[in-house]
Amino acid sequence: MQETETAEPARRWMGVGRSVLADSRTAAVAAATVAQTGAETKLLIVFAAITHEPAAVLAGLAEAAPGVTVIGCTTHGEIGPGGPADGTITVAALGGPGLQVETSVATGAAGRQGDAGYEVADCVGRVDLPHKVLMLLTDGLVRDQESIVRGCYRALGAAVPLFGGAAADGWRMSGAYLFHNGQVLTDAVVGAAIASEAPLAVGVRHGYQTVGQPMMVTRTENGRVLSLDDRPALDVYLERLGAPPEVYTDAAAFTAFALPRPLGVQRRSGVEARNLSTEVDLEGRSIGGGGAIDPGGLTWVMTGDEQSILEATDAACRDALDRLDGREPIGMLTLSCAALRAALGDEGIQREGERLQKWAGSLPYAGFYTYGEIARNHGIDGFHNQTLVVLALS
Amino acid sequence: MPLAESLYIQQLVELLAVVSSSPDEPTAVQHGVERSAQALEAEVAAVVFDGKVAASIGFPPDAVPHEDIVAVGARQRSDLDVPGLGRCPALSASWAGSRPGQLVLARWGDGFAIEERNLVRGMARVLELTLTMLRTLAAEHSIRESLEEQQRLLTHLFAIQRAISRRDELQRILDQVTAAASDLLGDEVGLLWLRDEADPGLTRPVSAAGTPIDLAEQLPVPLDGAGSGGAAISADQVVVRHGVAEPDPALGRLGLGPVYASLAAPVHDSGTVTGALLVASCDPNRAYSPADEQTLGAFADNVSLALTDANMVVRMQQAHLDPLTGLASRRLFMEQLTLRMAADQALLAVLFLDLDRFKEINDTLGHAAGDQLLTVAADRIAGQLRTGDTASRFGGDEFAVLLHQVDGLAEATVVASRIIAAMGKPVPVARRRLRVAVSIGIALGGVDPVEPEELVSRADLAMYEAKRAGTGGWAVYRPDMSPAAA
Repeated sequence: MQETETAEPARRWMGVGRSVLADSRTAAVAAATVAQTGAETKLLIVFAAITHEPAAVLAGLAEAAPGVTVIGCTTHGEIGPGGPADGTITVAALGGPGLQVETSVATGAAGRQGDAGYEVADCVGRVDLPHKVLMLLTDGLVRDQESIVRGCYRALGAAVPLFGGAAADGWRMSGAYLFHNGQVLTDAVVGAAIASEAPLAVGVRHGYQTVGQPMMVTRTENGRVLSLDDRPALDVYLERLGAPPEVYTDAAAFTAFALPRPLGVQRRSGVEARNLSTEVDLEGRSIGGGGAIDPGGLTWVMTGDEQSILEATDAACRDALDRLDGREPIGMLTLSCAALRAALGDEGIQREGERLQKWAGSLPYAGFYTYGEIARNHGIDGFHNQTLVVLALS
Repeated sequence: MPLAESLYIQQLVELLAVVSSSPDEPTAVQHGVERSAQALEAEVAAVVFDGKVAASIGFPPDAVPHEDIVAVGARQRSDLDVPGLGRCPALSASWAGSRPGQLVLARWGDGFAIEERNLVRGMARVLELTLTMLRTLAAEHSIRESLEEQQRLLTHLFAIQRAISRRDELQRILDQVTAAASDLLGDEVGLLWLRDEADPGLTRPVSAAGTPIDLAEQLPVPLDGAGSGGAAISADQVVVRHGVAEPDPALGRLGLGPVYASLAAPVHDSGTVTGALLVASCDPNRAYSPADEQTLGAFADNVSLALTDANMVVRMQQAHLDPLTGLASRRLFMEQLTLRMAADQALLAVLFLDLDRFKEINDTLGHAAGDQLLTVAADRIAGQLRTGDTASRFGGDEFAVLLHQVDGLAEATVVASRIIAAMGKPVPVARRRLRVAVSIGIALGGVDPVEPEELVSRADLAMYEAKRAGTGGWAVYRPDMSPAAA
């Protein structure tokens, strides 16, 4: 169990606690107790391994911090001081009179993603300190996460940055869980409006580069890419990457191969990475994943290595910390993509953890490996794949 | 990074795909607003009709500054106050037609670049086109009384719009529209005239339903000799002809007849009238009602949509790919090289290739043989590259290759040698087997600070050195090679 003191414990503070204990309730109590490093706890954010018993986790949090608002989710690995870990309960606590927190929940999100996003944005209207961010936790097994983010934007407009991630289930792909106060939820969106007297800043980066010639998306259906350059999308994508033969016929081999090789979509400010590893159709030769790709779009295959990904880690932390207008940070929330684990490997994610630790210094930080990241500062979109997103608080 | 021309054509294609697949006008307007904001990474977008904001994004619904947005639409102001961001530069583009409107965008940061203003104008045109189509459809819906007919029309139009958004082959979509129009209006003849690309004063039929004519044999005719179709193109409006006294002369020439009535509606590509969709009847008592005009108008709108979409795609491909060889265009190559050099410090190499004796072959065996040779050369060059490398045709018989992430010169010379060996094999062209060697210049990037154009010039200089040393070899750039020496 690690403990980190907050830098500015007076009016606003953040603390992080982590427990490796196997018993879910005991672990939650331990992590939440350590995380509360100041007075007036306003919010507990819990990142729990999928191996834990959700109801027991919530019972433990209620025991350690009675009456305190709780949000959280299951993960594909928990991020925090001491490096990335599996099987833990990692808790971030926010508190002090200089912070406000209000939360909302939308259930039954699948099929009405935009409306669900619009509904959870409601909590922002209940905070009034000058600096605000809406933190979103979504169910990573719900498709079309962009529409959730878009729904929030419709409600809030440009004034409020968005930050968050999609709950994961350790690659079981059978069910991730969201937490809100005493409730364990699936197919839902949890929103927390965090408002502060001092600046809050969001950073986002990916470490991938386009390779080779571009391809045009010539046919799509229901968010799946059917053809690229008028040929079956799966074959064009794999040919461009010089994939080994088994990847063409074996779904598991395909997923392993495609995870670190996203498809890049051209945007005005650069190329956005889209993970297409999870929904392959070997018979129809089409590819799909968490993010929609439109017909007519220009795409590239992308690759990244440890160096480029860790440079993106640095850049995301630097961007967020630099935008605190010179105020002393009190901590960071750091959400990284589950697919980056595949690209970096077990040793690589330890080095990613070291980079985060370097930027955090003595500050508390916590997060998880997600099935999709949310970060919006400008423009109307904010759902990402293959990125690190950072919320710096001051 | 400036918005590349290729990117904004892509943005128009995406906007068209998204908006044209909307079920009704309000949904289409909302989709159009959001997609426009997305394309320009703008915080605010809105559509204004009749001095009122019809749809917007970027403000909470209860805090939309209606008057300010309308003022931007009317060009009375050029910024908007956006909560949390402050004053943001704004711009608008308007469209005319049956329901004039304006598209308004505002974005945090610096103002909009000139090419972005052009993009927004293009988006306004796309919105006009798709909204007109949806409105025609809605009007049609209210005029047609028979539920069965309404259903048939909707089924036809839905199938056509799906075909367009799936990017089916253009000719198939045009045939589908022509057949659907003649089927639904109950006329024997359906015909689509398009203007000649080389001479817009001429037109010829490109799709026909219910007639035995051979389209391939039809020569272009002047607009005034193309009957109702030609008249609809000239006037850019619907033309109706009834009665025995006024048979369509053009249809008679096509071997159709006697034709007693015809109805033609103009079709457009990116806002310019480019043809006409026509139905005609051999029934002496056939008369066209306003509802018939609406129906044909809806199908003509679909032809416009298909043509605009297909031509945008063609323009986009032309911006990216060399039409003869399918390799990257010079512009795309330079874009990629610039991005790659800006992105990381890794070593990369540019190879500049020039075919030896190409001019001689082109002059003696003709351009067709020359083109064939270039195509084979392109395939052979591309076949020697590693995954992720980019080959492009720079123009004439010059090619350039970008090798990303090389360990050093040795790796680049290995690829160059492979290309030289591949090109050394005889090429079957014009019933001969030609041997065409290639000279290659190599320049390494990532060694010293150098602009992308300069790196390509270095490889070009080295190529001349290779040529001087004899055909079919490579040379590496040295600082003492000067342009004068070439």
